[in-house]
Amino acid sequence: MAAQAGGRARLARALVAALAAVGLPGRLAAQSDPIARAADFERRGNHAGAAEQYRLALADRPADVTALLGLERTLGQLGKAGELVGPARAALRADAKSAVVAGIALRAYAAADFIDSLRPITERWAALDPADEDPWRELGLLLAQKRDRAGARAAFLLARPRTGKPDALAPELAQLAGADGDWAGAAAEWARAVRRVSGYRTAAVTQLAGAPEAQRAAVLATFRAATEAPVRRVAADPLIRWGDPVAGAALIRSGLPDDGRAAGDVLRATLETLRGIAGRDARRAQGLLLEALASRSLEPAATRASLDAAQAYAEAGALEDARRLLQRLASAGGGPPGTAVAAARTLITVLADEGKVDEAEQLLERGRETLDTDERLALRRRLALGWVRQGRFDRAEAVIAADSSVEAAALRGRFQLLRGDLKGAVAWFQGAGPYAGTREESQARFALVALIQPIEADSLPALGAALLRLERGDTTGAATDLEALAGTLPPEKGGSELMLHAGRLSAARGDRVVAERRLRAAAAGNAPTTAPAAELELGRLLIALGRGPEAVPVLEHLIVTYAGSALVPQARRLLDEARGAVPPKT
Amino acid sequence: MRRREFLAAGAAALATPARARATARRAAPWLLLPMDEQQADHLKAYGLTYRALERGQRCEWFLNYRAGAFLVPNDAATARDAALNGVTALGLEAGELTELRAEMATGNMEPVPLEKPPKVAVYAPPNAAPWDDAVTMVLNYAGIGFAKVWDPEVLGPKGLTEYDWLHLHHEDFTGQYSKFYLNYAGAPWLAEMVRRNQQVARELGQPNVPALKKAVAREIRGFVERGGFLFAMCTATETLDIALAAEEVDVAAAYADGSPMDPDATRRVDWARALAFQDARLETSPTTAVFSDIDGHQVNSGDRRQPLGSYTLFNFSAKIDPVATMLVQCHRQVLPDFYGLTTSFMRRALKPGVTVLADEPGAPWVKYIHGERGQGTWTFFGGHDPEDPQHQIGDAPTDLSLHPHSPGYRLILNNVLFPAAKKKELKT
Repeated sequence: MAAQAGGRARLARALVAALAAVGLPGRLAAQSDPIARAADFERRGNHAGAAEQYRLALADRPADVTALLGLERTLGQLGKAGELVGPARAALRADAKSAVVAGIALRAYAAADFIDSLRPITERWAALDPADEDPWRELGLLLAQKRDRAGARAAFLLARPRTGKPDALAPELAQLAGADGDWAGAAAEWARAVRRVSGYRTAAVTQLAGAPEAQRAAVLATFRAATEAPVRRVAADPLIRWGDPVAGAALIRSGLPDDGRAAGDVLRATLETLRGIAGRDARRAQGLLLEALASRSLEPAATRASLDAAQAYAEAGALEDARRLLQRLASAGGGPPGTAVAAARTLITVLADEGKVDEAEQLLERGRETLDTDERLALRRRLALGWVRQGRFDRAEAVIAADSSVEAAALRGRFQLLRGDLKGAVAWFQGAGPYAGTREESQARFALVALIQPIEADSLPALGAALLRLERGDTTGAATDLEALAGTLPPEKGGSELMLHAGRLSAARGDRVVAERRLRAAAAGNAPTTAPAAELELGRLLIALGRGPEAVPVLEHLIVTYAGSALVPQARRLLDEARGAVPPKT
Repeated sequence: MRRREFLAAGAAALATPARARATARRAAPWLLLPMDEQQADHLKAYGLTYRALERGQRCEWFLNYRAGAFLVPNDAATARDAALNGVTALGLEAGELTELRAEMATGNMEPVPLEKPPKVAVYAPPNAAPWDDAVTMVLNYAGIGFAKVWDPEVLGPKGLTEYDWLHLHHEDFTGQYSKFYLNYAGAPWLAEMVRRNQQVARELGQPNVPALKKAVAREIRGFVERGGFLFAMCTATETLDIALAAEEVDVAAAYADGSPMDPDATRRVDWARALAFQDARLETSPTTAVFSDIDGHQVNSGDRRQPLGSYTLFNFSAKIDPVATMLVQCHRQVLPDFYGLTTSFMRRALKPGVTVLADEPGAPWVKYIHGERGQGTWTFFGGHDPEDPQHQIGDAPTDLSLHPHSPGYRLILNNVLFPAAKKKELKT
């Protein structure tokens, strides 16, 4: 009977071949081939029909891989994956040497929940090529899908002695360990994986990024202890993301590949990670990596990287490092055109900010021929500010004496204010108008005008002294002085405004306890222009401190008492946040 | 008063726009919360009205007048509430109110008294984030208090007897974890969902999670039959009805209850036990996150997935059919559609007697439906989040302070206030 059926099938195949040979349309030929018909059914979404055709094909050729995979696919769609067991058993009998058939059989037995059969099939598959990790990977993954994590782990681990590879299936074990919350274990497996194939670095970094704070030290220690530089470097990315970018950058620099191109790739990849991270530490880390990149690059890329590194150092407040690079660039020849000028320009601002104004002035004088007028004037204004920080108002005035721009007028207003001459300051600020300098400078100027407007006195040297301390970077001292001064003025005549400013400075420094006290004091003055702003700042501070319920009455008071204030819409938004009526800001 | 002062005061009064004058009047006995384009925060206006009811005030809902305006007494607490929440509230004198009532009497408008704030419960797992469900989000934003209940409370000795209004979080009442079990295998949130559900099933003496959910579904149906107001969105709509219809049929995949779905389930389910749907074909694949062909959009079904269009709210007679009119009060007639695991309901799957509140003209599906069962009512609204049309798992939550005029969210809040309306005899 079976022979007869086989004979008929062979006859049918021969017929199809003959029809195709005489040029009948391919469609007709396809209609006679069960696999082609099955594919057609599948395309049309008729999975039951497709499964029937695949079974038909398998009746004739039990180990036909196309038909087996097709049947597996369609039975899966029908929710009957377990029915593949019969055909899979027949396929194994027909072709015991096919790894593909063994894989399909393993999945079929798993779908049918014949868990006891999985191990023997895997052993049989593994015997085909003892060095092959695939059988153990497949077994482990199937057990993991069955939520048998212990079984999955055992299967993955068994691959090591069986294949003779001590690092076999390390990525799979790492993912399993991470999912189980064993982050140190995950790190150890990723270290093995990266040691074997460095391309696993990205996957390792992505998974380990989810490690909870308590386990991060163990994760980092695993990689730092490694002797191979590529493995050690895996720790850099988590370090950067977990708040220590400088250490991450240092780790990268300490273990760069000898090959310049490969080192450049590593540096650029880490710079990319740093791109979205704000803060001075991140900028310093950028400086470190850019400097390393510059030393491994050819011109003009090397000079560009050095300039960028200097800029990053300057923004990070690492002025010494910035100056070191810029001096080298300004004095070196051979770079792209304009490099020396750009370096000198940046160096002048760095020196001025660093307090070495004399040196900066000399540098400006030497390079005056290379700078256009606007650039020269802008740098002079920067120098003037440097002099003022040192209390040398005479030198500052002299440096900008020839400058009649609105920016210079705004600067003179600032100088007057720092001297305590409020009337003179307002006059200069008015003369400068609203458009002098950048938008940020303009906003800062108006904030100063708002600060001094309610004060009746034309001159208040103590205020100038406090603001000069602020200009010199002594925020805490300036805020203390402002608070003391606020106590000497009536609330509505500048007392509350100065207290509010002191509170804002403390909040910006993160000194939240003092900030809260000062903001409450500013609000308590009931000065109609200041109190709503103080209450808004206080509400914001309390929410940031996780004390939303305490912020609610503060903000409600603002909205109800100062209903006409322009700050009411902002207060309503904060009130929603404090009440938990909108999602918290992340 | 000196002549100059008098003239100055008179000129100032003339220069002030009439609307501003109305707003400024403190002595007006009523506040009108317009719900048309003039309203600064439509969603919070519902909350304000709800809180006025909580304080024992009697309010009114002016159906079809200024897009469903509210009338609230002008006491200090309400005025303060309006100021704090930025709700536009216009002072209204007794004479003006009389004129307004006369105007309403002549058109398709109707004042509906609101008497008692409904006690609101949201059915959600205890670990559900407040930003995971549109109803919870809008209740939080509007400032309407609610209790959270889940399986232990629903099946507990008190059941749902303490509540007037129940919202179903986007729960899968077939007990198949929204059929994410295979596609999201290994995801911590899914593992937690499975663990929690299985634990509760054990604690409540249920053999498995699908059996637990069926018991909960029956209790919810009982809540409606005893006079409760049920509001469901997204997949809770479709799966609740499937769970009810499949009381004696296994419709859950093997991963949920240890046995595969009954291959003959579609034929064997009894739709008479369900609230809204009938004659649907159940999805048999455990890997496809689709439950049946009730949903018109089939968002997770590859080639069957339909694109989003827009849906139109129906007009009802406010005087004859106030319930349906309340549910469609909105300042927009046509609204953009939004996906959910269940986005819409095929018209052919609706039971006779179901009221369609909104549909997509020309499409075979409807969006928003309402019906009665026993002494209570149910309302089903397809989709997950009206302001996040393509919602995906893990998306950032919607910040409703950026959508204070959301017409879709208004429909949800219509449902919250509608049980507050005083029942009166229908005119037909």
